[in-house]
Formats: sequence, structure tokens, C-alpha cells
Amino acid sequence: MLMTEKKSFWKRFKKQSAIQAFVWAGILYLVIFNVIPMFGLIIGFKDYRISTGISGMFTSKWVGFKYFMEFVNDYKFDRLVRNTIALSVLKLIFTFPMPILFALMVNELRNLRFKKVLQTASYLPHFISWIIISGISFQFLSKNGIINTLLSSLHLISAPINFLTDPKLFWGLAVGLDIWKEMGWWTIIFLASIVGISQELYEAAQIDGASRMQRIRYITMPNIKTTIVIVLIMTIGNLLGGGLSGSNFEQSYLLGNSVNADTSEIIQAYVFRVGLQEGRYSYATAVGLVQSIISLLLIFASNFTSKKLAGSGLF
Amino acid sequence: MAERIRRKRKRSREDWIMDTVIMVFCILILFATVYPFYYVLIISFNEGVDASKGGIYWVPRAFTLSNYSSFFTDIKWVRALGLSVARTIVGTVITVLFTTLVSYAMSFKGLIGKKYYMIFIIICMYFSGGIIPYYMVLRTLKLVDTFWVYVVPGALNLFYITIGRAFFEDIPDSLRESAKLDGASELKVFTRIIMPISKPFMATLALFVGVGHWNNWYDSTFFVKTKTLRTLPYLMMEIINQNNTTASQNVNASLHQSGNTTSLSVQTSAMVITVVPIIMIYPFLQKYFVTGMMVGAVKE
Repeated sequence: MLMTEKKSFWKRFKKQSAIQAFVWAGILYLVIFNVIPMFGLIIGFKDYRISTGISGMFTSKWVGFKYFMEFVNDYKFDRLVRNTIALSVLKLIFTFPMPILFALMVNELRNLRFKKVLQTASYLPHFISWIIISGISFQFLSKNGIINTLLSSLHLISAPINFLTDPKLFWGLAVGLDIWKEMGWWTIIFLASIVGISQELYEAAQIDGASRMQRIRYITMPNIKTTIVIVLIMTIGNLLGGGLSGSNFEQSYLLGNSVNADTSEIIQAYVFRVGLQEGRYSYATAVGLVQSIISLLLIFASNFTSKKLAGSGLF
Repeated sequence: MAERIRRKRKRSREDWIMDTVIMVFCILILFATVYPFYYVLIISFNEGVDASKGGIYWVPRAFTLSNYSSFFTDIKWVRALGLSVARTIVGTVITVLFTTLVSYAMSFKGLIGKKYYMIFIIICMYFSGGIIPYYMVLRTLKLVDTFWVYVVPGALNLFYITIGRAFFEDIPDSLRESAKLDGASELKVFTRIIMPISKPFMATLALFVGVGHWNNWYDSTFFVKTKTLRTLPYLMMEIINQNNTTASQNVNASLHQSGNTTSLSVQTSAMVITVVPIIMIYPFLQKYFVTGMMVGAVKE
């Protein structure tokens, strides 16, 4: 019995060997570019030198939590952790609800042509890289940029506002640009969900005398709840990366500078700097691992919470 | 009758207020989205030295093409543009073919080990070793500081494998079977039968991957040191960093002045040159991205 099963397994496998080969091409690729780097994380616990190559990752000396302690005791530790969490949480609070509000507004628009133009335009920034957005921000927000020129020519300010360098303004700048870039794009998913709601519900509510606000509150919102929960889980899954768009690193790297570093420097950017620029590979890996662990805890926590509250989760 | 009229009047007043408020907000949002792009466009057609004085809002004040001519006569910019075009084309072709092939194979009915392969792919999708071990692998493979570092590491798009699998599962088995009976190999079935009917999927994939390549700046920043291998977004990032430094050092921004252009004004032309191709493929993108995103969300 067992023999025939085994035989038929190999027969079946042989029959689909070409297909298996296609799959394994992909698996092999992933082993090289994903799995090996995952094992490479052990250099965070080792004294690794780049000259020893890949095999050195496994043969170098264990040092335990030396580099983790070094990071925790670094004078930048508090700042990096605070900025990483603050940027992420601010984006969760302010960026996340915007597409929902915007979708509700767009849905109420009567003029179909305007609606289409507005939607088309609002997706565009999603496809533009942060490089360009930073360039545009510079044109608009620098000391002699268009906003400062406009404000001072209207005599609203006496001295230009340092949007790009004032440490007090960086978090606001980052969240604002994030909203500007991604709001329209994430609106698509909520609008699609709103369009799917049966019109009969609205008609029935109208006959019962529900106002437009009431219809939004009692019909639209409950019907898009599932979509909101899904997107919320996705957002929390990438919380430390910057939520929906994962923009934390790019913003910190491109808009951060020596003057606003106190609020703009985050763990990811620090990993890049000490790792690839200063060549402290083991230390940088340990620092990156700290962020991954915090991320993972957040994913599990959010999954647990959403299962409790909404009855469904990511896994 | 009377009540109907009363209700109608009441509703229309609420309608009026709501419509007005919403309209005002939406017009503001539209303006805030479009104007920055328009502004960069007019600045790119204005003399750089003049533009740095500010005060230009609607039309160029000192019209010139010199920003564009300095872009196209500077070998540094032209080479970067060429490299960006090359990596976008080569990278997109590689990724689309490889991802389509693997997702087609993953959709095969009765594929032995399918469940485990999928779990493996999902693990790879959500977990990574971080940038440092990744860099080690690229270095060992001798990809660092070559053109191939732009196109090889992203060759398999895991997110689109999950979408592609769903797409291919809808293709009837009989199509493949009949070709097999005619003696075609699996690879031939894939190139002759599967690929032609999966154009919508491949087009979506190509558009998104293409935009990703075109916009990518960090592989050039992290993994490339040779100056002649830098891509267009990288050069723009360099200028942003310079601006950042000057902004933080409190000196006037229009440095590197030559003739009536500045490094900033040449950059605006580079920005326009980067954004225009995206706007050109935008209608095609739009056709696909709603479905692409919905499938993605359901799969998530």
C-alpha cells in the first residue's frame, strides 16, 4: 500500500517536473535573496568582518548581546526610538483616516466630470518618488521658497519660517507630505467599497427620513467597516516603516538634515549610516534587528486586537 | 402632499450646505495636488537666477530653454537618464517574465507541495534580514557596483505572485491540456498559450514594476559607488542633499551658478523629465490599478 502510494507520488511528480522546475527557480531565487539574508541576521550577535565574506557570517566569533547593549547605551538611542515611534504613530493617527474622509466626500459629489478629474489628479502623487516630492518641498518650503515669499508679501510673517530645518516642524512636515502623497491613492479602496453598497439601503433610509449625514453615519460607515479594518491591519503591520506608504525612511533620509536631526533621525536611517557608510556591519544588523522585533510585536498585538474587536485578523 | 414638500425643502437646504462645503474642500484638494506640479513646470522654463528671486506663480517671468539645454548637454545627466531608461526596460522585462512564470507554475492544479511553497513565499514576503545581510549577499554575488544590481535583486515580485496565482487559476485547464496533447513542452505552453492570454496581468505588473524602477533611488545610493553608474533619481537626491546642507548652513540656496541657470533650476528640468513619462503612461496605469489594488487587498 505504502509502496504504491510512494510510486504514484513520484509518477505524479515526474509528470509535473517541468512545472516543479519553474517553481523551484523561484524558490532558489528566494533562498539566495531572502533566506540567506535572514540567516545573516546572526552577525548581529557576532564580531563580523566584511573581508571574511558570506562564510564569515557563520564562522566569526560569538559576542552575544554586546552590540545590542552598545545600541541601548548609545546617546542617540532615546532619540532614535522616540522619533521612529512618534512618526509612525502620528501617521497612524493622521494619515490613516484621511482617505476614508476623502472617499466619503468624493462619493457625495454630484458633478461626475469633476469627480473624475479630482480622482485622477489625486492618485498622481502616489506614483511620484519621494525624490521628486522632496524637490518640490524644497521649492515650496525653503526660506526663499514660494510659501515664504507669498506669506511675507502678504505681510503675514516678518521672518521666513524654516519648514525644512526647524526640528519642531519636522513631524508635522512628514505627516503632511505623507497625506498629500498617499491620500488619493488609498481612497480608491474605500470608494470601491462604498460603490459596492446596495442602493436600496439608501433609498429605504431616505423614505424613513434619514438626512444625508445620517445616511453616511448609519449606512455607509457600517458597510465599509470591514475594508477599514483590513487597511488598518495593513497599516499597523508596517507601522514602524511609516504605515500605508512606508515613507519613514525616505522622509528621514531626504528631508532630514543636521539641524532637524533631533526629530528627523530614525532607526532605519541610522542603520544605513552606521552600516553601509561607516562599515559597522554587526552593530548595524543588531540595531536593525531591534526595529524588526518591535515591528513583529506590534503586528501580533494588532492582529490580536483586531480579532477581538472585529472578528478577523491578518492570520 | 404637504409633508412631501416640507421634507423636500428641508432636504435641499441640507443638500445645499453639504454640497457647498464638500465642493470647496474638493477644489482646495485638487488645487493642492495639481499646483505643485504646475509650479515646477513653469520654474523649469524660467531662468534659474531670476527664479531664485521668487515671486513667480502662474507663468514664467524670464522664459528660457536653458535649463533643459544644460540638462541635455551635461554628460552626467544624460548618462544618468540613459541608465534609468535602461534599468527600467531591462528590469521590467526580467521581473515580468520571471514573476509570470513562477505564478503560473504556482497556479498549476495538483502541484505537489503547493501549500508549502505558498507558506514559504508568504514568509519571504513579510520577513527580511534587513539591509546589512542583504548587502553581504549582493557583495558575494559580485552584484555590488554593477548595472545588474539594479535589475537582478527585484526579479521576483512576491506580491504579484499572489495576485498572478489567482489570475491563472481562472484559466481553464483544457487549454493547457490540448496543447500538451499536441506534444508541446511546458515552456512552449507557457510562451505560446499562457503568455498571450495573460496580457492584462502582465501589463499591470509591467506598469507597476516599471514605475518602481524609474523612481528607485536607494539601490543606486546603497549599492553603487561608481559615479558613471548613477541613475537619474540618484543625481536628484544629490542635489537635494546639497540644498539640505545649504539650507541648514543658512546661506543662499542658488549655488553652483553658471550663466543664468543654477543647479536648482537644472534640477527642476530633471524633475519634469522624470515626471512626464509617468504622466504619459498614467492613463494605462489607471485602467489597471483599481483592480490590481482590490485583488491585493483581498489577498492581504
